[in-house]
Amino acid sequence: MIGRDGVTGLVASATSLVLFWLTLGLERNPLVPIGPGFYPRLVLGVTAVLGFALFVTDLLRRRARGGGPPAAPASGANYLLVALSFAVFGVYVMLLPLLGYRLATFLFVLGLSFLLEPPRRLGLWLRGMVLALATTVATYVIFDEYLAVLLPRGSWTGF
Amino acid sequence: MYGLLWDAIVNLLQLKYLLPLVIGTVAGVVGGALPGVTITMTVIIVLPFTFGLDPLQGLAAMTGVYVGGSAGGLVTATLLGIPGTPSSVATTFDGFPMAKRGEAGRAMWLGVWSSLFGGLIGGVVLIAATGPLAEVAVAFGPWEFFSLFILALSMVAGLVGRSLLKGFLSGAIGLVVTVLGNDPVMGQPRLTLGIEFLEGGIPFLPVLIGVFAFAQIMGDVERIGRGGTLHESLDRAITLSVSHLKVIGEILSRPLLLLWTSFIGVLIGVLPAIGGSAANMMAYDQAKKLSRHPERFGTGTPEGIVASESANNANVGGSLVTIMAFGIPGDAVTAVMLGALTIHGIQSGPLFISQNTQIAYGIFAAYLLAHPIMALVIALGARLMLRVVTVPKAALFPVVLVLCVVGAYALGNNMSTVYVLLIFGLLGYAMVKVELPLAPLILGVILGDQIETNLIRAIMTDADLWLFLTRPISGGLLAASVASVAFALWQHRRQRGRELPDEEADDF
Repeated sequence: MIGRDGVTGLVASATSLVLFWLTLGLERNPLVPIGPGFYPRLVLGVTAVLGFALFVTDLLRRRARGGGPPAAPASGANYLLVALSFAVFGVYVMLLPLLGYRLATFLFVLGLSFLLEPPRRLGLWLRGMVLALATTVATYVIFDEYLAVLLPRGSWTGF
Repeated sequence: MYGLLWDAIVNLLQLKYLLPLVIGTVAGVVGGALPGVTITMTVIIVLPFTFGLDPLQGLAAMTGVYVGGSAGGLVTATLLGIPGTPSSVATTFDGFPMAKRGEAGRAMWLGVWSSLFGGLIGGVVLIAATGPLAEVAVAFGPWEFFSLFILALSMVAGLVGRSLLKGFLSGAIGLVVTVLGNDPVMGQPRLTLGIEFLEGGIPFLPVLIGVFAFAQIMGDVERIGRGGTLHESLDRAITLSVSHLKVIGEILSRPLLLLWTSFIGVLIGVLPAIGGSAANMMAYDQAKKLSRHPERFGTGTPEGIVASESANNANVGGSLVTIMAFGIPGDAVTAVMLGALTIHGIQSGPLFISQNTQIAYGIFAAYLLAHPIMALVIALGARLMLRVVTVPKAALFPVVLVLCVVGAYALGNNMSTVYVLLIFGLLGYAMVKVELPLAPLILGVILGDQIETNLIRAIMTDADLWLFLTRPISGGLLAASVASVAFALWQHRRQRGRELPDEEADDF
């Protein structure tokens, strides 16, 4: 059984090899003696070798240890919360061009702050609402109106 | 040179430059004081606000963040025993014990004044060394630049993280990112994978923002609800009043310590990606070794605070030397500054000083002025900062992520850079979980195009690959690169030898 490093090495190596294969189809430019695939092949080749070396090192280390998996330290990390936070952020990024910056940002700040600290009392509800509103208004005014960054308008909402 | 510097200082004292500098310094001090918010994250937050400013205003703000952030960590390090940033970890060793025995003001101000003196010593090196180093670099051909970038990358890959192999793999992944999109020499599309937004290549700023911001924030999210809050460690009865003359006298009565630890800070700053976190620890270690009373370290001795704080601020000067003379970012903060230069259409590299003299000297001036401003900000706001550090993460993180999105979006006023931010946010967090260091990845992304361009230019000029070794500077840089890898190998082996035999050994 391979460990985390082994999986990392295999993924890096396999991805590099796939990209390496794609560079073989690149056409050479007559103006440049070295084609556009020369450097990518060099880099991808090195990455594939490094990934494979990480995989082999992990394998050898495990074999030297007698094949048994190391005792995993109890991390106590809240990975579910991390996954949900990423999901909320992903939804925000997807909604930005649909709902527009103002509505999407308000919902995102409200949603993430409630996810990270569930509003079990009125004060937290209020804090979340004020934070979402203040962040949306302040960033919109500063960036869109003052710094001339044309923040996304929503294709569904029209603003 | 001094005439130009004086003019730059006078220029920077105008309100339109002074205001961004002060705001940047305040942001830096507060960000530095907030445990869990690094200087990198603070400069990422400040970045989008600088887009609408002129280049010098933006760079003044960022220099303020850098200087302020390097000192801000000492406030919580000394008063709460919690380092605000990794660069103030060693400050807690003696700062907090000193504060606990009722000398909180002395502990904090020893740190502040040491930061100021160390920073100014770093400034002297910055101003004196950048020009001559840039002049040397101007004479470089593509062979030398290629070798210089390889040296920077190999040093970073070798010296960060616990595994040399993982450092190199991370750097290589960074280089892979730069081969997606288009060929930098002829602009020919390649490896776009049919994805529209890859056609123009992947800009490094959203990569940097995504990787660092998410790695930091999600790392903290993992621990939400699993630890105590800062409220528990706050002591409202802390008194910060102190005789400043006495404290300054305490520092200046140890001139060799101050100079030596500042020199260590500068040197580590000049070397790419080692950073303030290593500078303060190494300086502390040196101070302890050179002290006549090493047994006093860790009990609240002023030498420990002086060493740590002078080194981490001198480190800022060293990092700025590398970016201004060679265009190589010394750490993530200077990488963001490099991005800000690019946004304003300014080419970094050895010609930066000669082609943008006003901006270069403006950065020197901002660096020098930021130090007294930092001291003033801490003097006025230290007590307030102790309250700010209790801001709940649930309120802080959504706002920071919104600013990351705005910062990425503003780079091109389109969503493609936001998608890059999301993808690299996931990658950055995944890399932290599999213990791949982030710094080599970022340096790979920043230098990848330049490595390719110089390699192709060199081969187009002369197909003889031996020139990389036979040209003296290029050969010397490649030899230094090999030496840095050998050193890293030796260091990793020595580290492994020190660990317990049954403990999991690092590869290589």
